[in-house]
Amino acid sequence: MNAAARDRWAGYAFVGPFLLVYAAVLVVPLAMGLVISLHRADLFGRRAWIGLGNYTQALGDPVLHQALGNTILLALLIVPPLTVIALLLALALNRPGRFAAILRGVFFSSLVLSVTIVTLIWRFILTPDAGLIAEGLEAAGHAPIPFLSDPDLVIPAIAVTTLWWSLGFPVMLILAGLQQVPGDIYEAAALDGASRWTVLRRITLPAIRRTLLLVVMLQTAAQLQLFGQAQLLTGGGPGGASRTIVLYIFEVSFGRWELGYATAIAELLFGMIIALTLLQYWLVTRHEGQRT
Amino acid sequence: MSAHRLSPLATVLLVLGAAVMLAPMAWTLLLSFKSNAALMADSGAAFAGPYTFENYAAILKGSLTLQWLANSLVVATGAAVGVLVLSSLAGYGFARLEFPFRRTLFVIVLLGLAVPEQAVILPRHQLFAWLGLHNTYPGLILPSLTGSFGVFFMTQYFRAIPRELDEAALLDGASRFTLFWKVLLPLTLPAQATLGVFTFLAAWNDYWWPLISATTSDYFTLTVGLASAQMNYAQTSGLGFLMAQAVFASIPILIVYIAFQKQIVRAMAGTAVR
Amino acid sequence: MRVPLSGLALIDVSKSFGDVPVLERVSLRIAPREFIAFLGPSGSGKSTLLRIIAGLETADSGEVWLDGERIDTRPPGARGIAMVFQHYALYPHMTVRENMAFGLRNAGVAKDEIARRIAQAADILEIGAQLDKKPGQMSGGQRQRVAIGRAIVKQPRLFLLDEPLSNLDAALRGRTRVELAQLRTRVDAALIMVTHDQAEAMTLADRIVILDDCCIQQVGTPAEVYTRPANAFVARFVGSPPMAMLPGVVAGEEAGRVRVRLAGGAVLATDVPAGGLVAGTEVDVGLRPEHVRLAAPGEEGLAAEVELVERLGDRTFLYARLADGAEIVALEPGFGTLRPGEAAALVIDAAAAHIFTAGGAAHHPEPSA
Repeated sequence: MNAAARDRWAGYAFVGPFLLVYAAVLVVPLAMGLVISLHRADLFGRRAWIGLGNYTQALGDPVLHQALGNTILLALLIVPPLTVIALLLALALNRPGRFAAILRGVFFSSLVLSVTIVTLIWRFILTPDAGLIAEGLEAAGHAPIPFLSDPDLVIPAIAVTTLWWSLGFPVMLILAGLQQVPGDIYEAAALDGASRWTVLRRITLPAIRRTLLLVVMLQTAAQLQLFGQAQLLTGGGPGGASRTIVLYIFEVSFGRWELGYATAIAELLFGMIIALTLLQYWLVTRHEGQRT
Repeated sequence: MSAHRLSPLATVLLVLGAAVMLAPMAWTLLLSFKSNAALMADSGAAFAGPYTFENYAAILKGSLTLQWLANSLVVATGAAVGVLVLSSLAGYGFARLEFPFRRTLFVIVLLGLAVPEQAVILPRHQLFAWLGLHNTYPGLILPSLTGSFGVFFMTQYFRAIPRELDEAALLDGASRFTLFWKVLLPLTLPAQATLGVFTFLAAWNDYWWPLISATTSDYFTLTVGLASAQMNYAQTSGLGFLMAQAVFASIPILIVYIAFQKQIVRAMAGTAVR
Repeated sequence: MRVPLSGLALIDVSKSFGDVPVLERVSLRIAPREFIAFLGPSGSGKSTLLRIIAGLETADSGEVWLDGERIDTRPPGARGIAMVFQHYALYPHMTVRENMAFGLRNAGVAKDEIARRIAQAADILEIGAQLDKKPGQMSGGQRQRVAIGRAIVKQPRLFLLDEPLSNLDAALRGRTRVELAQLRTRVDAALIMVTHDQAEAMTLADRIVILDDCCIQQVGTPAEVYTRPANAFVARFVGSPPMAMLPGVVAGEEAGRVRVRLAGGAVLATDVPAGGLVAGTEVDVGLRPEHVRLAAPGEEGLAAEVELVERLGDRTFLYARLADGAEIVALEPGFGTLRPGEAAALVIDAAAAHIFTAGGAAHHPEPSA
């Protein structure tokens, strides 16, 4: 019919502009990446086909292996504590009243700061040379600790910085999840004489299971791409002890100009993130089908 | 749960936690009001006077900070406006219009949510180099416009509006465009505010892309500019000035945050409720 | 089929959603200024039919004519039709005034004419004080008046109402029913109301169109559909409690009227003309509650067991089961004394019985002169 035909063109007119940008700035680069990763390519457009050469190089690259280890360690030091602390905070702050509202504002506040400002602040908190922590230690009669130049401490230091910066978002997500839980479930549980612990374990946690899953998935994907904090706080040092995968990608592409190799590493990271996300999703949801 | 009162222990822990969150910011604020010289002499001086505005005066006087601020405003505003326009149009299209491949296209857009920035950033850099988009505002803004989240968010919002309203408007003789522009779009204003603020914040704080796309300091955003300043200063020599820069750069974003806290929280919640 | 020059005509309208037919060759004529109710169970296609008239759905085949013009090819806004939606569908971000003006502006009506019509409608509906409020600030009843007002100002040739009372609480429902009855005197248009509530249809409509199973089952005045239902479905659907259906066999005739033997053996001498009903035909005997009563003391009656007692204060309905297993409903004036489980003797007013054959055709009593 006439009206249906008009609808069709109207449909494309409305979704077209976004799809155009989406295709040009996301889909095309995504495809280009696969192609570039199969070439020896530099930043200036020179290319030679080397098939899977970049990928075999990655398998034997000790620097990449170190960066991979650092990145995984960072993710392990950040994601679980972040999730637990955020859950506890959300449970504590999920209540009416001014006190909770102000605290929510405080805990959300750091997430609006940019990574530059966060690292600027934390660099001078962590520095042994008159940093905030060093001042405190000195007052207590303790020698300053060189967090950012000790290979054993630099990863935890970046993790703490990231925790401080990233806390607000998961708290918000979990709070939103908690508000979705219908109140009458709690009333029913109260009538059944359930203790607070039972309510938490049997009702609240199962109800926000998907939100927690989302938090873990988003944070894992984000922390595996950790870049700014490492680049700005330590530049990957000392001796590569805090070099993350994305920082390495940055160095390879914009320091060594080996675009093909950098892209191949990025594709590997992409695959790793997708695989981990799917794995987490499968682990959490595999029982759901049987239960309902 | 909310019926339970907080235990004294929990209250103490919460207040302590809040202090840990705020202390770095407060300390930064104090440092920004100390002269560089005073801090060179005694960095512990942050907790006592005299305080001065000289660092802020220095920012306003000469440095590139104001240019960077302007760049950040242009980029973040451009990103927010662009995302709102594209997402509103696409959201309405996906939610309300019938056309071939609608479902397929929507799924393709949703898949974008799973693509990490790393998978596209290097080829995109190459592509933009060919197109001559580096060190331009469009080059800084365009990547923000590919966000699938906005389209998903607006589609959901349009879907939640009762179809009866469309039908009433059609019976009132409204054209497709009148229906979109005068009836449905005004109803999405809360979602527009949320999405706009969210996009503004994300674009303002983005680091990776402007770092590699804006290579001349004229096109630095505040985030990149401050990073370069950070690199240039040897440790404490310009501590007060650096901290003043940090505070200065945070002010616009804190204003946005405080003014739109409700919308930001709702945007975050939006990601949870899918 | 000839198309009338005034009123609404539906000609062979068919519609299916995918493989599921919703309407099959529906034809109907409605006179100007007539108040019509589309009545039927959910899924009967009554709402779809209304939406096809409005232009919100497109019929697969068939035609819709209004005042001698074919309108099914026109967009909804160009049909001269106004509609009051079930949930009112007021534009939440516009004031009452803007809500009413929106359609007129789209139609290019002059500004002062818009103002005049709004003032007039506000006056009629007594919403003058609310003109600058937004729908969210108003009560359900007020919102409905605004929805009606928005339809009135368009001065439509046809007025559609989709379940207009379903969103109101019981108290408001009664009042709004009165208002809808007044509405017809105020508008120079035919009205079609969709409802699943037979009391609404009986109260308001000039004629009721009863839909079921993709087809019109009967079109008639409220009295016609109640006293002369076209088939067993209409007989059961109109009237509350519904008509009881007692299985039986035509036993013969007497003075041109049919006698039916019920399954339990009792023989009813009905007032239904015998034409076409030969002895031995299996039939259902339809009886409304008001034609079944309790036997007086000493009077002979059919043995039944009471299953449910519905007390309405001034009268009581007894839902009972006859010895042969058939269900029947009896009417008892006043508060009633029987309880569920007790035995009752029932007397049937056989002269009021309807007879339905297996094909669904209805035979009504015709008192002999």
